[in-house]
Amino acid sequence: MAELKLDNVGKTYPGGVMAVEGANFDVADGEFIVLVGPSGCGKSTILRMIAGLEEITQGELQIGGRGVNHLEPGERDIAMVFQNYALYPHMTVRANMAYGLKNQGMPKDQINARIDEAARFLQLEPYLDRKPRALSGGQRQRVAMGRAIVREPSVFLFDEPLSNLDAKLRTQLRAELKDLHKRLKATFIYVTHDQIEAMSLADRIVIMSAGKIEQIGTPMELYSKPASTFVAEFIGSPPMNVLKGDSVGGAGLLSQYTGTAGNVGYVGVRPEALSLGKSGLQATVTLVEPLGAETLVHLKLGDDIMIMRGAHGIDLAPGAEVHLSVPDEALTVFDRDGRAVVSSA
Amino acid sequence: MVENRKASAILTHVILIAGIVFLCFPVWVALVASTHPGEALTKSPIPMWFGDHAVENYRQLLIEGVPAAGGVPLSTMMINSLVMALGITFGKIAISLISAFAIVYFRFPFRMVFFWLIFVTLMLPVEVRILPTYDVVASLGMLNSYSGLIIPLIASATATFLFRQFFLTIPDELVEAARIDGAGPIRFFIDILLPLSRTNIAALFIILFIFGWNQYLWPFLITTDQDLYTIVMGIQRMVNVGEGIPIWNYTMGTAVLAMIPPVLVVLVMQRLFVKGLVESEK
Repeated sequence: MAELKLDNVGKTYPGGVMAVEGANFDVADGEFIVLVGPSGCGKSTILRMIAGLEEITQGELQIGGRGVNHLEPGERDIAMVFQNYALYPHMTVRANMAYGLKNQGMPKDQINARIDEAARFLQLEPYLDRKPRALSGGQRQRVAMGRAIVREPSVFLFDEPLSNLDAKLRTQLRAELKDLHKRLKATFIYVTHDQIEAMSLADRIVIMSAGKIEQIGTPMELYSKPASTFVAEFIGSPPMNVLKGDSVGGAGLLSQYTGTAGNVGYVGVRPEALSLGKSGLQATVTLVEPLGAETLVHLKLGDDIMIMRGAHGIDLAPGAEVHLSVPDEALTVFDRDGRAVVSSA
Repeated sequence: MVENRKASAILTHVILIAGIVFLCFPVWVALVASTHPGEALTKSPIPMWFGDHAVENYRQLLIEGVPAAGGVPLSTMMINSLVMALGITFGKIAISLISAFAIVYFRFPFRMVFFWLIFVTLMLPVEVRILPTYDVVASLGMLNSYSGLIIPLIASATATFLFRQFFLTIPDELVEAARIDGAGPIRFFIDILLPLSRTNIAALFIILFIFGWNQYLWPFLITTDQDLYTIVMGIQRMVNVGEGIPIWNYTMGTAVLAMIPPVLVVLVMQRLFVKGLVESEK
């Protein structure tokens, strides 16, 4: 169990390509942190630097109060779960889980006790003597987790562990992961490009873009108070409608805004904040997507497209003219650089 | 194709059987010839069925040796051949595994230069470098010794290249997982790389054993001591008995004996090899 401290940690590759600009954040003991962002944003690089698989070229990394910049991965008291599981194909499940402990020189009976406990916990008991290729994707990922659990590390690192699984299994394992975190009370650092995974798992999310941290906060903070248009458009499904302040739709939305706007570049509104009204903004329905519990309505205002999250069974057809009602507190205003304007309202 | 299934099945079988007969005929002749007394083979027609001299012929060959051809018993020659072939095989596999490991997994200065140096030697067979090699072996006093037979032949660019290509297909995550599990380079090599290379090692073992067993020119050059002659040299000495009548029965018997170990290696290792292929997938 340990806290983690990243002090201006960055990575520049020999060719001069900067993968991660100085990242600063602390992870509390037992916290579940998710690093999220589009591919190539540097989130995996940060994880690999924490693991020790990638050299840190600037700043300092501390795990449990001790600087670990120059320690080998095996000495950092971490465990990592890889996207493609990275199980040793020639070893049985038991041998896979035992390998790290064996290298630490732990006595055999102690190793077996730990494996049995982890196997029970992960429901892997019937598979302990099988080779990884005889297991399904979900089982392999459980073995990979088991291999991490038995080492009882201070920090668990996950590199997109669910990306190779089908949607149903992903949902199931996501719940198991959350449960695992609750029971182990260990520090988890998890990398994903899937914002839904990030929202549902994280205590706090670190959202990244182009090697820089855009925002750090709880899922709800990121959702309701995005620090930039990037965050606003990354989080949420469908994401926030972000319109230019001087376009037809944007100006229409801004006319509802009562806070101090100042230097307005963009204005955003969540799809669920929009509703139909008797008067207000006029828009044309272009597409209706019934999803069962809800219906997504695509609306056109001038050249702008917005998506409204409507109730199940909303009765609209493409081409219909509607009026939108937008509560002013639902609006988020961004400056011309895409940074959120902190309004007093 | 589909309509003429029966006719084409018969045709393919006929062609295959003809091929097998064609290939097996010389082996058959050798087997038959080794069971007749010497004179029977100098008259035509040569016999096509086993004779009654099998036990005498092979006892003479294995235990006493043939006086006309030096009188060294073939059992000695076979042991020499076996030591040389196994030495070359294990030596080549060990050296090429280690050098491929270094080239793929370590970043050291001039890594690619070393790789290309090894690669270039692929184009130089033993025969090309035989004079300098002989000189080195002679100055090291390794003439007429097992080490002289084995060591100059154990560097293998082909095997190094093969293992390099195989190591490159092992996913990086496996290496990283091992590092996180606290395995250093040597442990990674022994615990992960070696077991994963099992099938490649088995395949190479077959090829290299036969390569080693069939060495002719090199042992011929560096051994003058009869006790170190290999069986392939033995065959040549049987043929070259000079003015006497060719001792075909003994020559063929030697050839048959020389065939047995490679055949055994292929049979045994092939099973392992196939099993490995079926069992391991990445």
